[in-house]
This record gives sequence, C-alpha cells and structure tokens, in this order.
Amino acid sequence: MILKITNISKLYSNGVQALRNVTLTIPNGMYGLLGPNGAGKSTLMRILATLQEPDTGSIYLDEIDVLNQKAAVRQTLGYLPQEFGVYPKAKAEDLLDYFAVLKGITNRAARKEVVAALLKQTNLWDKRRQQLGSFSGGMKQRFGVAVALLGNPKLMIVDEPTAGLDPAERVRFLNLLSELGENSVVILSTHIVEDVRELCTRMAIINKGQILQEAEPLKAVAGLQGKIWRRIVQKSELPALEQSYKIISTKLLSGRTIVHVYSETDPGNNFEGVYPDLEDVYFTTMAGYIGNYKPEVAQ
Amino acid sequence: MKFWNIFRFEFGYLVQRLSTWLYLAILLAFTFLMKLVITPGDGVYANNTFHITAITVIGSLIWLVMSASIAGEAAARDVQTQMHPLTYTAPVTKLNYLGGRFLAAFAVNALLLLALPVGVLLSFYLPGLDQGELLPFRPWAYLSVYLFIALPSAFVATALQFSLAALSRQVMTSYLAGLLLALVAQIIAVAAAKLFGNWDLVKLLDPIGVTGIIGNELQTWTPTEKNTRLVTLEGLFLLNRVWWLSVAAGFLSLTYFRFSFAAPVTNGRRRLFKRQPKVQAMATAETAILRVPAITVPQVQRNFGFKTNYYQTLTIAGASFRKIAKSPAGLTLIAAIALLSAVFGNKIMTEFGIPLLPTTQQVIAYLATPVGNLNTPLVIIPLLIIYFTGELVWQERAEGLSEIADATPITEWVLFTGKFLGLSLIILAWMALLMAGGIGMQLGLGYHKLEIGLYLQTLFGLQLLNYLLFALLALVVHVVVNQKYIGYLAMLLVISFMAFPATFGVEHNLLIFDSDPGWWYTDMRGFGATLGPWLWFKLYWLAWALLLAVVAKLLWPRGRAQGLKYHLLLAQRRFTRPTTWVAIIGVGLLLTLGSFIFYNTNVLNEYLTGADLNEQKAEYERRYSQYQNTPQPHLTATKLHVEIYPAQQQVEIQAAYTLVNKNALPIDSIHLSSVSGIAINKIKFNRPAAGVLIDQELSHYIYALKQPLQPGDSLLVNFVVHYQPQGFQNNGPNALVMENGTSFTNYDLLPTIGYQRYREINDAVLRKKYQLATRPAIPALYDAEARKKPGSTDQTTLEAIVGTAKNEVAVAPGRLHQTWTAGGRRYFHYKTDASIGSEYTFLSAQYAVQESNWHNVAIRIYYHPDHAININRMLRSAKASLAYYTEQFGPYPYKYFTLVERAGVGGGGATADAGIIYYGEQNTLMKPDDGPNGFDLPYYILAHEVAHQWWGLARLTPANVEGAGVLIEGLAVYSGMQVLEKNYGNKHLQQYVDYLHSFYAMPRSLATASLLQANEPFLYYRKGGLALYALRKYISQEKVNGALRRLLQKRTSGALPLPTTLNLYQELQNITPDSLNYLLHDLFKENTYWRLKTKQFTAAQTKAGNWQVTLKVQAQKVVVAATGSENEVPMQDWLEVGIFEEGKEATEPLYLQMHRIRSGEQTIKVTVPRKPERGGIDPNHLMIDLRLDDNIMYLDGR
Repeated sequence: MILKITNISKLYSNGVQALRNVTLTIPNGMYGLLGPNGAGKSTLMRILATLQEPDTGSIYLDEIDVLNQKAAVRQTLGYLPQEFGVYPKAKAEDLLDYFAVLKGITNRAARKEVVAALLKQTNLWDKRRQQLGSFSGGMKQRFGVAVALLGNPKLMIVDEPTAGLDPAERVRFLNLLSELGENSVVILSTHIVEDVRELCTRMAIINKGQILQEAEPLKAVAGLQGKIWRRIVQKSELPALEQSYKIISTKLLSGRTIVHVYSETDPGNNFEGVYPDLEDVYFTTMAGYIGNYKPEVAQ
Repeated sequence: MKFWNIFRFEFGYLVQRLSTWLYLAILLAFTFLMKLVITPGDGVYANNTFHITAITVIGSLIWLVMSASIAGEAAARDVQTQMHPLTYTAPVTKLNYLGGRFLAAFAVNALLLLALPVGVLLSFYLPGLDQGELLPFRPWAYLSVYLFIALPSAFVATALQFSLAALSRQVMTSYLAGLLLALVAQIIAVAAAKLFGNWDLVKLLDPIGVTGIIGNELQTWTPTEKNTRLVTLEGLFLLNRVWWLSVAAGFLSLTYFRFSFAAPVTNGRRRLFKRQPKVQAMATAETAILRVPAITVPQVQRNFGFKTNYYQTLTIAGASFRKIAKSPAGLTLIAAIALLSAVFGNKIMTEFGIPLLPTTQQVIAYLATPVGNLNTPLVIIPLLIIYFTGELVWQERAEGLSEIADATPITEWVLFTGKFLGLSLIILAWMALLMAGGIGMQLGLGYHKLEIGLYLQTLFGLQLLNYLLFALLALVVHVVVNQKYIGYLAMLLVISFMAFPATFGVEHNLLIFDSDPGWWYTDMRGFGATLGPWLWFKLYWLAWALLLAVVAKLLWPRGRAQGLKYHLLLAQRRFTRPTTWVAIIGVGLLLTLGSFIFYNTNVLNEYLTGADLNEQKAEYERRYSQYQNTPQPHLTATKLHVEIYPAQQQVEIQAAYTLVNKNALPIDSIHLSSVSGIAINKIKFNRPAAGVLIDQELSHYIYALKQPLQPGDSLLVNFVVHYQPQGFQNNGPNALVMENGTSFTNYDLLPTIGYQRYREINDAVLRKKYQLATRPAIPALYDAEARKKPGSTDQTTLEAIVGTAKNEVAVAPGRLHQTWTAGGRRYFHYKTDASIGSEYTFLSAQYAVQESNWHNVAIRIYYHPDHAININRMLRSAKASLAYYTEQFGPYPYKYFTLVERAGVGGGGATADAGIIYYGEQNTLMKPDDGPNGFDLPYYILAHEVAHQWWGLARLTPANVEGAGVLIEGLAVYSGMQVLEKNYGNKHLQQYVDYLHSFYAMPRSLATASLLQANEPFLYYRKGGLALYALRKYISQEKVNGALRRLLQKRTSGALPLPTTLNLYQELQNITPDSLNYLLHDLFKENTYWRLKTKQFTAAQTKAGNWQVTLKVQAQKVVVAATGSENEVPMQDWLEVGIFEEGKEATEPLYLQMHRIRSGEQTIKVTVPRKPERGGIDPNHLMIDLRLDDNIMYLDGR
C-alpha cells in the first residue's frame, strides 16, 4: 500500500494557512509526522481521515482517491483523533461492539471475539462493564485505540496517541502499531521525538503547514554527523552566543545551560562535537538550517 | 469586585454571540409580523393595550427557547466545554460565581425581552407598515407591560432555567425548564381551573401569562378598555407575580446551596437533588507493570453490502431508541399523560359536565389530535419530537465522539435511516402508551367494549404517520440548519406555521407540511369518505419525505466541513446514482400526486380561500342587496321527491314550490338564491316566465313573470337539484350523503326565495375592509323597519317521498304515510299536517325505530342500534314535555312527533325543527345520574327542544332584531326547567340553575347588552333562563306561565306585528306587582349585577328554647355600561334570606323569607325554632351575582 499526498493546501477562513503544498509519499510501515503544536499535523490527519476537505491537491491510497471516494477509504481506515469523548453512560464493551457494527463486522460471533480480544489487548477487559464516564484519561485513550484497531485497518491514522498513556501502555501501543505497519500504512503524528525515533521507518517534519524535511530517521541522524556542537555556558552568556552561532537548542542542566549549535565546521571556542540524535535533527530542521524551509513570502 | 468582573465577562460573552443578535432580530420580526396579520376589532385602535400586551406575552413564549440557551450557557457552559477544572479551582466564592453568571444571563434576557414592547412600538410608527388610525403615544402602556409582565417573567424563567442547568450541569436541562414553564404550568393551571371550576386559579398559576392574562383577563375587556385601560399590578395578578417571584427565588437559593465546585459525576440519575459527593470520579489507579506482550488482533471478516447496511441501520435505531427511552423525558411524560387520562377518565369523558359512555370513538377523539393542534396536552408529542431529533442529530458531536464515528465506513443513508427509525420506535412506544391510557380510561369507567382495531387504525395508522412525517421534517431541519438551538427555533416556527397557517396567509393543504383535509370517525358513519383524500395527501407528503430524506443524506454533517462551499461540494459528491434515482422518483411522485390532488381540489371542486369567500359574500351584497326590499312571494307548500344514494354519496331532488303573493302589490319577478355550487336545473314555472339573470357564481337567479303575480295569487315552480361530490376537496368531504349517516337540510341543497341577508358579511371589521355599509350584526330592537322582518319569511307545508338504499331508513319531518320497496330501494312518504316554518332535514341511516303515542300524537324515535341507552329517557322527557307545554301554553300543532339521531362528530346537544328533533351521536352516550341528588341534563335538553315547538319554528316567530334569541332560546330554557323540576324535583332544577350560573364564572366581559337587546347566545340561554327563573320565584310560576301563554296566543306565526322582547316585557309587566317593577327593570332593561355577601352568622338560644339568629350582610347593586364602566345604583331590593339546619338540604329551609335589603352593610335578626347550622342571603341564587360562594355562612365561620 502506498499513500500519495500531492500538493495539499488548506487555508482556514480565519486566515490561517494550515497546510501549504504538502506532498508526501508514504509506504507501508510506520510513518512519523513530527511537528510543534499548531504545525498543521491534525489538519493533515483529518484530511487523511476523510473528515476535512483540502482546498487543493489530491490524495491517493493505491488506487483509491481519498478525497472523492471517502466511503472506500473508510472501509480500510482506522482513526484515533487527538481529542475525543465517549458516551459517559455507555459501557465499554457495548460501545466497542456498537463501533464494530459501524465498521462492518456484522457476524455476531466474530464481533464478540474481536471485541473481547481488543479489550484484553488494551487492558480494559476488567473494566468492560464499567460506564465510560468513570474512565481515566489513559483508559479512555486505550478505548480509542481499541476502536481504531477494529476491523484490521490498512490505513491507520493516529493523532498524538501517546499523550495520555503511561510508559508501559505507550510501549505496548507503539509495538502494536509497528506490527500493524508490516502490511499497512500507519501514520503517527506526534510532537514527541522519541516516538518517532523508536519505531518509525520514515518521518516528516512539519511546521507552519509546510513539510520541512522528509527522511528516514536513521539517515537523517547520520546526515548530521559532525555538524552538531555543544558547550555548557552560563545563562548570561547566551545573548552573545546567539549573535555568532547557529544555536538550535538550549537546555538547562543543574543551573547551567547546554547549548547545541549547528555548524558544518568546528566552531572552536570551547565547543565540543557531539553525536547527533533525532532531536538535533528536529531542532536543526525547525531552525531552518537543513531541509526545505522557505520563509513565508510577504504578501 | 470579583462579582462585577464575572458579571461583565459573562455579559460580554453572551452579547458577543451571534445567536443573541439573531434572537433579537427574530423577536423584532415577530412583532412586525403580528402587526401585519392582526386586525384590531371594531372600535379598537391598532396600538391598543391589548395588542401591546398580547404580542409581548406571546412573544415571550418564543423567547423562552432563547432564554433557555442563554441561561443554560451561563450556568453550565464551563462543564460543557470542560473549562470547569480551571474555573472551579479559581478563588471565587459560590455567590460571586453563580450570582455574576445569573445576573448576566438575566440582564441579557431582560434586554432581549425589551425587544418585544419596543418592536411593537416601532411597528406602529415604522414607515411602510400600514398604520391606520392610532391612539396617542402612551409610554406607560409599553412600560407597564414590560415592568409588570415581561420583566418578572424574565426573572422567573431565567432563574428556573439557570437553576436546573447549573444543578444538572447540562445546558439542555434549561430547555426542559422552558418547556415546563411554557406548557406544563399552563396545562396544570387550566386543568386545575377545569377540575375545581375556578378560573381564578389560572390567573394565579400561569407563569408566563398566555392563558392567565391573554386567554383570561384581557378577554373580558371591552373595546373601550382595550384602548384605554393599562395593565396594573393588583389583585390576583399581583399575587401571581409574587408567587412566581418567590418560586424563582426559591430555586435560586436551592441552587446556591446545592451547587458545588466539584467535577460532575456521571453515575446516578437523581443527582439533581442529592448532595454532591465532593470527590473526583473514581479512576482506578493501576499498577503499571511493565509486561509488554505482543498485541495480536484477530483477523475478522468485514462486509459492506446491503445486508450490512440493514444490520447497521437496526443497530443505530436500537441505540437511538435506547438513548431516548433512557432520558428523563423520553417515556415518562407520555406515560404520565396516559396515566392521568386513565385516573381522571371520569373528568375527561364528559359532555356539559355529564359523564359519557367512554366508547372507543370518544377516547380516540381525545387521544388522536392533529399535530398542529396546540390546544391539547398532546401538543407535548410534537415538542418532544423536536427536542429528541435535535438530541439524536447532535448526539455524537455533543459527546465529542463525532470524529471517530464519522471516520467509520458507514453510509449517510444508514445513519439517517437508523436515527429516524429509532425516533419512530419511540413514537411507536408513545402510541402504545396512549393506547394503554385510553384502554385504562375505558376499563376504569367500567366500559368493556374495547375496539382494539379502531385503536390500531387511528393511533398506529393515522396518527403515527402524521407524527413520523413531522419527525422526518424535524430531522431534516436540524440537519440543514446545523446549529442546534437555531434548529429548535426553526422547528418551533414550523409548528406555529402548521398550527395557524391561515394567519400566514396559507390555506391550501398542499402548501402546509403534513397537512390533510382531516379525518373523523363516528360510530354511525365510521371514517366516512375521509380516509381516501387523507391518504392521497399523505402519499403526497411521503413523496416530499423522500425528497427530504435525500436532502438529509446530501447534507448530513460529517467531519469538519465548514462553510457552504464545502457542504455543497460534499453534497455534490454524495449525489450518487441511487440517490439520484430516489430524488427522481421523489420528484416524480410529488408532481404526479400533487397534480392529482390539485385536480381534485381546484379543478373538480371550486377552491376558495377565506378571502375569496368573503369577497364572494361582499360581491353578492354589492350586486343584489338592491333587491332586499323587493316584494317576493312566500313559500307555502313544498313537494319533494328525494332519491338518496348513500353508497354513491349522491342525492337527486325533484321539487315543487308553491309560492303565494302575500303582499299588497303585484309581483313581476321571482328571485331565487341557490346554494353555492349546486345548480338549479329544469326550472319550470306554471305560468309564462323568462330567466332575466342566471348568476351561477353568486348563486342568484331572477325570473321575470309575463303576467305579474297578483296579491293572493299563487304560482308553482318545479325544478331539479342534483348533488354528487366530484373527487375530493381541500377541506374535507361535505358530510351530506353517506352510508349510515346521511343528513342534509334544505339550506344545504335547495334554493330559497328572495335576497338572503344571512349570506352577507356580518363582522363589522370585515365589512369595513370590504367597504360595505356599516350595519349592526343584528338589527336594533328599536329599528321599526327591521321589526317587520322575521328570521325567515316562509311557513311551508312539506310533502316528501324519500327513496334510499334498501338497508336504510329515511327520515323527514311529517307523518309517515306509507313505505314501500321498489327497484331494490326503500321509499318513505312523509307529509306534515301543518306548516313547519322554513327549515327541515332529511336523514337516512340503518336506524332502529321505537314507536309510541302521546294522546293522539304518534311518537317515533329513530336511533343507531348501539346507541340505545337513553331511548326511554328521551321518550319520558318528550311525553312529559308535550303534556306540560300543552297544558301551560296551548296545543301541540301536529299529529306526529319524531326524534332522530343525526350522525356526525361532536353532537352533544340536540336541535329542533317543527315536529322533529335531531340529537347528536354524542348525546346518546351521556350517562347522567337521575337519582334524587343527580342532574339529568339529557332529560332537560330534550325538554328544551320540545319547548321550541312553542317558542320559535312554526309558532312564536320573532322579528329578526336584538333580543329575538331571548324569545326563542330564553323561553325554551325557562320551559325546559319547569319540566325538569316537575319530574325530577327541586334539586335537579337547582343543579341546572348552578349550571347556568357557572357560565358567569368563565372569563367574560361584564359589559354585555341588556336582555331586551340581547345579541349573543350567552344572554339568550344563560341570562334569559336565570332572569325568567328569578321572576318565577318572585312572582309565581302560574303568573309567569300565564304571561308567556298570552304572548303566544295573541299572534299567529309570521303575522305582523312580529313579537319582540318588548312584547315579552309588556306581558311580564302586566303580571308584576308594582313593588317588584324594579326587579323586572334590573333584569331585562339594564345590565345589572348584585354583589351579595353574608359577613357574619351567629345564633344564640333564647330562654324559650328558640334560637335567635343574627346575620350581617353586605349588599351592592351595580349597572355595567357597554363601555365597561360600573355604576353603583342604590338598592332597596327584596331578597331571600334563608336559614338551614344541619343535615337538611337547601330544599328544606328552617327559614326562608323575603327581606328588603338596602345597599351597604346591615344586620338581620330572625328567630327560628331549632338550632341552625348555616344561613345567608339569596341562598337559591336568584340574582346575577358573580360570587355565589359567599352568600351562605356557617355557624363555625366557614
């Protein structure tokens, strides 16, 4: 399966350009969409999930025209939105069963089996007769995961799924996704770099509606080899450094500040080279030193 | 400070919302629209207080929906938007938080309501609106309405809605509060008033003022008062305001104490009034064990075919049904109505307060009301439909689940159909509940002949389809509007349009959604011919429903499509081939059925709007009123051959009229007035005559005679009239001829002689509009010219041969001379032995006949075999009446007396023609208590109708001027009362007197005409009866009866001078002693009210063993002028003072004497032999006194 996104743009009526000429090709496997809050991730995810219309562009999932054959897309779609509610009075098992019907699992026995399996997999089996209104954030999130997984989707769209999960749940969920990714397209949007580093075979970095970089995480990291330098400074020295170096990130460490800069040659001045990681890739891209960042054209 | 900040923020937030401004626009538009559609009555200026008040009050009913959204938002927005963790933890006190929010909502609501009086004011002065004459601008007229009615209402409504929303933490609850205020309170108020017979209760209980103020208080205002009087804060109205403001304050303090800054919990339904637990919802913390087993999801088969769609539809339907059924208002309200109906069946199944046999037909008439009928508790059904469709359409979005649900592979058809089906199931459940309530009502009243089939046909057939169509519309409106609250508002507008389409200038059923020509069911006629047209119209609306479904599918909200552009894009994409086919089929059906219906209603039948009809009447008057004084011959003999074909709904009449010139001048032309749409065929005079004018449109014909008809000469005219309905009409079938239920009068089909005044427009305002000369609705008593004209000039004999179907019996006035069968049909030959006036009826049905005799009068009762319980009662009443009236007033003129049941809806009473009385189907179901303490009203009703054989019809035919109704109905009421008393005793009579008085308790203006110049049925029947009864008590029965006998015997029917109330007054004066002349004057010449009250009643035993009774009474007499102004007049009246023993009825007084009572307070001392229990002034209610309950007082102070 291949998802082809071509020249998607979206301008909201309040003037926000949520997406600008986004073009991506996404093969089977886990694909990370990394970007800060408000970058346009969710808009892109909703467009992929058939819930929103772009102004221009086209999207194809193999032969399926995603924008015009919504029904066909939905038959292979699993979608976990960033935020969602549940019927507070409904019981977990009943609502999951209800969604199973909506997703076309009409055989009662098969449905029962799937619902039971998913509840067990998402660790909700003991709570299956509880009203959803009494669920904690994490439990609710897991319930959403169970709904998304119903019916073995071939296109899985998960929008910041790990936000409410505890570490163990997060690991289990990501494992599940990567397994699913063996023969389907799984798109994971997140602002947590680790999610992408651990599992995604490919990723894109998005900001202000533009794809800044599309790469394989490992290759991207390798690409930065020898270009990231570090120095520990006093906070008061920062402004001076900013004048002369391409600072990509600053971090506090026991009262002092660790500064990462991007430089293709040794900047000297007590900077030491570091092995770059995906975070450096992300920040370097966001700062515009690599990737195809184009400053907005003044209008 | 914080309070002020909260208030300011909330107020600003509410004012910034677009919807708030939309509400403002709607309210303003409402006032303008009402200004356009309402025409003030005669003598009332456009900007009268009544208009200002009524529009403000009715507008505030619409406003209740808006206020629900505003108050609900202010109270529960934080929880709704999940903001509450931030606001609840802020350092704000409950008082500041709730107070600020509430005051902001109240302020916005109060300002919104201000739009109503302001809008009304603007509507008078805005250019472009037709103004007419206006009263000078009176700011207080608007201010008082706003300050006394609207502003308190704003406070009460906002408080209730705010409280319920804050406590339940749901915005929607405030809508329920609105519903409660708008409807339930009104219904309870009216129900309480009806149950306890006290209309003041309504004024006290009604929160908004629709029934209390508009339907009650203001209805009693005279035109002058409407122009000048202002709303004042006094009496019951003041109490009402105080009561509701305290209720509101109570709710607010309850909210203050119950509300807590805690996160809402979802378990438990009754949390509204339970103390809030102050702990977070339990979220079981789990131990995070790092077991990371591989997740495997079983592979499943998924299908997306038709079968899946079907299965999914049912699943969604089931889920929707459960959601509604589980919600607090889902089934309970209808169940409560059903239960209350069953429990209070004995109060509901009555006619004139007399218990009715609860046949299924009666119960159905109560349970199955049109969707647009707002005047029944069942209006709750369409309102619930509106509410729950909104809930269903918005279900996923309200719970934040829409994105997940929208991304599932489910089609819009399935979603839409599933939800609609769920709603249908709920409506089905409601119908089942209503049916259970109806059956419960029947069983509770001891009636066991349940007609389950009829229940199923009406509730699960006719009504269900009506409600389903309405539900579909509601669903589509919610989808199209795509704004929850605006959707509700839009549907409320839709339902008010459906309720009052004529107000909006739309009358054709093809243009009013879900509308039809109506259906009815009666025991005799069944559904008659109503089902066919009903079904055609419903099929037409189903075709619309198909199109609506397509619209719903195309516009079904899914995903985050914003803006019209994207909706259209989506709709375009959803216009798939099957959808196209459905749309094409829908349009095809729509056009075919619509044309077919139009062909029936407008081509086969003449379609006239109300305005068209008025125009026709006006044109008739303009063109032909020049002939109103042209001498015309009188109809003296009518010979008819009537062929009734019940199955074909046809009738053919061959007629021969004998016309005699009773004038002093020769007559050269004959004017005929036919019935609209019924042509006079084969007209033939027995002397040379030529048609000069044949105006089929206005139904006026003029024939010129070659040789004038000399005075005393007669002529014969033959003609044929044929009636056969063509197709069906817009407003239901003409119920003239049908199987087992034919009934038509000569006025329905046959022409009359001369210009017909009754065909003119009567209403003064309408006459002005159509530029017709001003004239009183009834000619004045002192109009000498008018006193020469009776209601109808004709006194004809009738001979008729009536043919009907083989299995039916035909009935007509007259003696039955012969019956025979020919050509598979039955024939009946009827002939009257004296003239019978001008009106008569033909009936045909599968009657059973009971025959009897009174002296040499042959009595025949024709009745529906299932309606036999009262036959003996009727026979008894008829015989007793004939005997009494013959003895008192003179002989009965005919050798026959016929009683016949007339098929049709809602016939609780009876009507009389000469020698024949028709009683309605419902009349046969009355089950009065004829024991000594009961009240046999049906017995009286028949006695009343028999009395018309002396008063009205062929005997005493008064001039058609004011007071004529007193001579006909007043005297019949009086006569009927004598028969009731003679055969049932004083107690039944007293019940009837109280029944007459009870009409005074209903809200009405005190400013009526005097009895001599009476101009409305209330005066003819009620006051006429009471006045004559009082005279009889003061003067004696013999004397009053003697006066009436002389009034009757002095004249022959139709001979000039015609009798008027002046003649009646003269006769009564002749028998009245001078000492009572004042009473006659007060009762007949003035509009007099007595205010009599016993203020103190004490008794002490004397040494002799007697009891000395001391009464302190208060008396006052007022005359109310036509303008409504009250004039106290000094009194020095004879009034009964009565004293009664314990355990003894009012019919066995310990003491009852006339005393002279003067105005003001006075003490009366009386000695009685035994210990009294109670006593007072006018104990038998002889005077016109609006408060009867304070006449008598008990020793213990009651």
